[in-house]
Amino acid sequence: MPPVMPGPDAVAAEGDPDALPVPTYRSLAAPVRRPVDKFELLPAFLKVRGLVKEHIDSFNYFITKGIKNIVQANNRIEARSDPSIYLRYKDIRVGEPSVQVDFRVETITPHFCRLTDRTYSAPVIVDIEYTVGKTHVVHRKPNFIIGYMPIMLRSYACVLNGKDEAELARYGECPLDPGGYFVVKGNEKVILIQEQLSKNRIIIDTDNKKRVIASVTSSTHEVKSKTVIVMDKEKIYLQLNQFTKPIPIIVVMKAMGIQSDQEIVQMVGRDPRYGDLLYLSIQECASERIYTQQQALQYMDDKVMFPGPGNVKEGRSKTLLRDVFVAHVPVENGNFREKCIYTAVMLRRMLDAILNSDTFDDKDYVGNKRLELSGQLVSLLFEDLFKTMNSFAVDRMNKNSDMARSSPLDFSQLIMQQDLITTGLERAISTGNWDIKRFKMHRKGVSQVLSRLSYMASLGYMTRITPQFEKTRKTSGPRALQPSQWGMLCPCDTPEGEACGLTKNLALLTHVTTDQEEGPLMNLCYSLGVEKLSLLSGEEIHAPGSFLVMFNGLILGKHRQPQRFAKSMRTFRQSGKIGEFVSIFVNEKQHCIHIASDGGRVCRPLIIADKGRSRVKEHHMKELRDGVRSFDDFLRDGLIEYLDVNEENNALIALYEHLDQDDVQRSSITHIEIEPMTILGVVAGLIPYPHHNQSPRNTYQCAMGKQAMGNIAYNQLFRADSLLYLLVYAQRPLLTTKTIELVGYDKLGAGQNATVAVMSYSGYDIEDAIVMNKSSLDRGFGRCIAMKKYTVTTEKYANGTISDRIAKPQRDKDGALIKQNMRALDEDGFVAPGQIIRNHDIYVNKQTPKAIPKTPGTTLTDRDYKDSPAVYKGVDGETTVVDRVMLCSDTNDKLTIKCIIRHTRRPEVGDKFSSRHGQKGVCGTIVQQEDFPFSERGICPDLIMNPHGFPSRMTIGKMIELLGGKAGVSCGRFHYGSAFGESSGNADHVDDISHTLVKHGFSYNGKDFLYSGILGHPLEAYIFMGPIYYQKLKHMVLDKMHARASGPRVLLTRQPTEGRSRDGGLRLGEMERDCLIAYGASMLIFERLLLSSDPYQVQVCRKCGLLGYYNYKLKTSFCSMCKNGENMAKMRMPYACKLLFQELQSMNVVPRLKLTEG
Amino acid sequence: MDRSAAGVSYQRFPRVRIRELKDDYAKFELRDTDASMANALRRVMIAEVPTVAIDLVEIESNSSVLNDEFIAHRLGLIPLTSSGAMGMRFSRDCDACDGDGSCEHCSVEFHLAARATDANKTLEVTSNDLRSTDPKVCPVDQAMAYQQAIGTADPYDTSTASDHRGILIVKLRRGQELRLRAIARKGIAKDHAKWSPAATVTFMYEPDIRINEELMETLTLEEKTSWVESSPTKVFDIDPNTQQVVVVDREAYTYDDEVIKKAEAMGKPGLIEISAKEDSFVFTVETTGAITAYELIINAITVLRQKLDAVRLQEEDGDFTGLDAHLGVA
Repeated sequence: MPPVMPGPDAVAAEGDPDALPVPTYRSLAAPVRRPVDKFELLPAFLKVRGLVKEHIDSFNYFITKGIKNIVQANNRIEARSDPSIYLRYKDIRVGEPSVQVDFRVETITPHFCRLTDRTYSAPVIVDIEYTVGKTHVVHRKPNFIIGYMPIMLRSYACVLNGKDEAELARYGECPLDPGGYFVVKGNEKVILIQEQLSKNRIIIDTDNKKRVIASVTSSTHEVKSKTVIVMDKEKIYLQLNQFTKPIPIIVVMKAMGIQSDQEIVQMVGRDPRYGDLLYLSIQECASERIYTQQQALQYMDDKVMFPGPGNVKEGRSKTLLRDVFVAHVPVENGNFREKCIYTAVMLRRMLDAILNSDTFDDKDYVGNKRLELSGQLVSLLFEDLFKTMNSFAVDRMNKNSDMARSSPLDFSQLIMQQDLITTGLERAISTGNWDIKRFKMHRKGVSQVLSRLSYMASLGYMTRITPQFEKTRKTSGPRALQPSQWGMLCPCDTPEGEACGLTKNLALLTHVTTDQEEGPLMNLCYSLGVEKLSLLSGEEIHAPGSFLVMFNGLILGKHRQPQRFAKSMRTFRQSGKIGEFVSIFVNEKQHCIHIASDGGRVCRPLIIADKGRSRVKEHHMKELRDGVRSFDDFLRDGLIEYLDVNEENNALIALYEHLDQDDVQRSSITHIEIEPMTILGVVAGLIPYPHHNQSPRNTYQCAMGKQAMGNIAYNQLFRADSLLYLLVYAQRPLLTTKTIELVGYDKLGAGQNATVAVMSYSGYDIEDAIVMNKSSLDRGFGRCIAMKKYTVTTEKYANGTISDRIAKPQRDKDGALIKQNMRALDEDGFVAPGQIIRNHDIYVNKQTPKAIPKTPGTTLTDRDYKDSPAVYKGVDGETTVVDRVMLCSDTNDKLTIKCIIRHTRRPEVGDKFSSRHGQKGVCGTIVQQEDFPFSERGICPDLIMNPHGFPSRMTIGKMIELLGGKAGVSCGRFHYGSAFGESSGNADHVDDISHTLVKHGFSYNGKDFLYSGILGHPLEAYIFMGPIYYQKLKHMVLDKMHARASGPRVLLTRQPTEGRSRDGGLRLGEMERDCLIAYGASMLIFERLLLSSDPYQVQVCRKCGLLGYYNYKLKTSFCSMCKNGENMAKMRMPYACKLLFQELQSMNVVPRLKLTEG
Repeated sequence: MDRSAAGVSYQRFPRVRIRELKDDYAKFELRDTDASMANALRRVMIAEVPTVAIDLVEIESNSSVLNDEFIAHRLGLIPLTSSGAMGMRFSRDCDACDGDGSCEHCSVEFHLAARATDANKTLEVTSNDLRSTDPKVCPVDQAMAYQQAIGTADPYDTSTASDHRGILIVKLRRGQELRLRAIARKGIAKDHAKWSPAATVTFMYEPDIRINEELMETLTLEEKTSWVESSPTKVFDIDPNTQQVVVVDREAYTYDDEVIKKAEAMGKPGLIEISAKEDSFVFTVETTGAITAYELIINAITVLRQKLDAVRLQEEDGDFTGLDAHLGVA
């Protein structure tokens, strides 16, 4: 990109050299000079971090550090009877992905796993030390495998890590595939990002009774607990699940050793208003006659919920206070002071909120949210399984140690007894059920199958964030767009319907942090002048002018010069001395400095500006373009830094470097955006000119872009997806965006550039229907390939000695096939690739043994097998072709046959199409080319769209796309339409586009003079015509159309079956029935509900009113109750009614029919 | 429809003036007729002039990246020289082969066999690899290359041999193979666009431009220039000598009304009057190469005549009574 952009000013100057530059709205809004084009930073960022780096980073953190921490914390297990029998884990690591086949280790690749339904997993290797025998000889065993862990693709443990394109191709992998998912039993599974409220932070809120509460969810490695302090009737109480009743907070303070009321008030703060608010609480405590710590503890002991075995209540409350109450605040040597101060701070925040309602925390604020990523989730699972495995081993050791054995057990034999870890991890990831009792975690749908419908769909899955709330809640708060989402979460990409606003997506440049070591950071804080809490009196804590320093929710101490402290911390971060993701946030309102290094915060890179001047200069960008500078260098040199949502509050971020403003105006600017379009996510990034559209349209497109057919991956033809839709001639959009190029959508497009005429035509274009040109369809427009996988497994019986077999097609003596539906079969009994397969044809000629012989070893002959062929169920009249037949043995060594059947479809009436602006429509009719309107150049549109689609939808972006596309095809340059890109040169101006159009002989407004194709006369209006990128969506008539006259019925009720797949009937439901009743069409109802459903003739005994039967031999009806056939009557009723009577009878309820002559 | 005037003859005698005629391009004027005639000609040229195109493909071996239907579709769209198509039979009403399409009257067989053996290069299978059993029917590029080789090519044709590389069908990697048998048949583009001989067939009404010279003279040169430049296409110019506005290219006018709007904006309505001559048309015809532009026009007229003959025959049979009733004519 040249430094000077040929803007509209330049064009105006060409046309009229003498004219003075007239200031337009745009020339005022746009920066006059652009010394630095920062766009190159984006590809550089994505090169280093990748599109799904947060997933991969988080998993990498787990397999390199997290797993070691878990094992270190539980590294020794010992027998209960004899602690000298022990096992110690010395080290743990994750090996390279492999399987053990017949005592051989074979490395595996992800693609191999996808094709053979295996799990892409690597051994978890430990080095152990354990005692053997009665003499307790210490043995060491390195490289001991305790289980297999599914491996995230492109993580450190993955074979694809750091491979270039050629190597990836050799592994059968698509280089554009971002990784970040798992392959479990052949299925690709993504662990979705989970959104949670942040842990260990004080949240001031109101509960459903409008009471002010301060809550903290404490989470440490050992315990997780929730502490709530609530103000009820102007008195403050502590609520803990372990107590039966709320405890007055003053009692709690006293129980923790602060016996003097004065000190409590001092700790909260000296402001007399605090004292006023605390007065009643203090009084209540005094009225209970609690003055000392002992009394307070005794009072609390009485309120403990389950006082343990033997009803020992004494001392329970003290342990609860130590271990459960704000559990993340440590109690060292029984010193509760830190906890007291923490409680006081909680109280203070609460009282602040009562005095000034502005200080309530917003639960929906993104800074109060933490995103849980796959690494953390797998880590929890692994921790649980590892501990379970160890406790199992201890249990068994204890059981066995009682028995006298010739060779005494050792732990190494016990820990690997069941593959607990392997199956546990595999089951959780493949089902998505995270049931961890140890951490009280019961979550469903944590992992989901990665959608491979289109490239965008799979990318969209990787950035999706699922909420923790149940979706049924009608609250609007969490669904609303939060201002703090700016730049972190995409404002467009959210589903419609129940999950609207709850399920979110990451923006393009967002990064989610992983945990960072706390110790060194704490020490740094102290050496920068943070005064330790233990050295401060209650009075001093809240001294005016000094700020409390909070570190990951803990109170470190206070600092007298908060701004200086923050500045020096930030300098350390910018120079790379501390981690780049550490956030330093000065909260003026709360008089706090929050330092955060915990995982799960969202943050994004920004260019640092000194008094509004960007630190990134042109020479930096040149170095980047020349390849001598990477994105990390920018970080290390302090040109760019990551800010999280909280720290953004301390920054003033400019969209552009406003060089035309004077220093005073911009002196307060601290940061500059890298590129404004990065506030959108990956999926919204492919919309051209989204900033010209009505916002819901962009949201609709985000949902539809995922349903568009196109190319899925470079390896799409080697994959074995159960359903795969491909576009035959997929194109890259004529009107692209920078995001499209960054994510590779231009290489794996999902749509075609269609010449669209916006006009009314034929009347088959109402309600968003589109009219298509038959010749365009003949030439391949919208043509798609649907590939479907059919799997057949051969079962094994009698311990694997006998199994199903595949027989070759049976022929008579002339060599002709006995059954016609075997024509697609090859001589080996499988369908032949390339063969046309029709409805009811056999694709695998499988046979199963009729009976399993009792004596093992007998060989079965042909007669012992019966046919159980796999029959293809397709659409009559369509030509489907066998694409591939794949044979593999699954993990249980059963032969699995996968047949992939392909169907090439051309668009037909009713197929769904959509542009990139949330404008979907079905094909209304297909018209011959000669009937289509044409221009005098001979241009004839591919499809016609009704202009009524525009006024109410207000998709101006689509109109600009048409203009830009038209200019693009005429001048031979791809035009850009990146979001908010006009002022930075990433989107073409409409003015410039119009100039190009005029230069190539078109009207500036994109309208053409067309002739009617039917009559040859000119059309009355000029027609807006040009190319628009159209997507073919997966909803096709062929898969949906269904009609039935008569057909199969359900065995039990004899009513027509339900659903298209079972050739079911079309239900006349309650509402339709209501209409007929209202109309009075009684005979029609009778026909629909009885005759067309389940009519049945029954014999009713007029005497007893029960059902009899008809004896066909004697040709009489008979009542089995009355034992005669005298009073029988015939009647018709629904079979379901007769069934009901019989079922009632079986329950000893007698339904009697009373008949009268009709 | 007024049938009482049936005796009156509306016959006109259209005139055709050919402006430009190349192998695959023609531009001609059609005068003294109306839009229905011009449009009928255009429609027939696009949809009803028969050509030959591959219609049936039997794949013997295909290990390429594209699947069988994909290749078959691509083969179908290759234009084949079909000068003889008018004389051929449609395979559906061919007596010689009962319509199964494998006799010389209604079909031409093609063979294609390609196998990539070079390790470092992908082999491009193009339409030049198609081997025809009938020398008259072959892919257009092959025919042009052949003509060039024997020196009978269009003298105005400036293309070189490298321009006739053929139409790419599929690229083969080493070891991949494509062998097939294809049958080309006669057809019309109404059935499938692959049988369309026309790349572009379009016409426009000839514009009638009248400049109000008196009013024009009231403009300054600057005003004239800006007025001339307001047209997106180069229709007008200023004579450097007389400084008068002259029409340089009437047909470049796209009926965009820009100059009229400009004149109004300048406060000189009526500066120019432009109307379409309702009885003269300028046709632009471009073919795919399957037949020459000349053949296309002539064949189109033949087809149109045949259709009219069919209508006349029907009328003589008196089959129009139903139609009369439908049209509400007593």
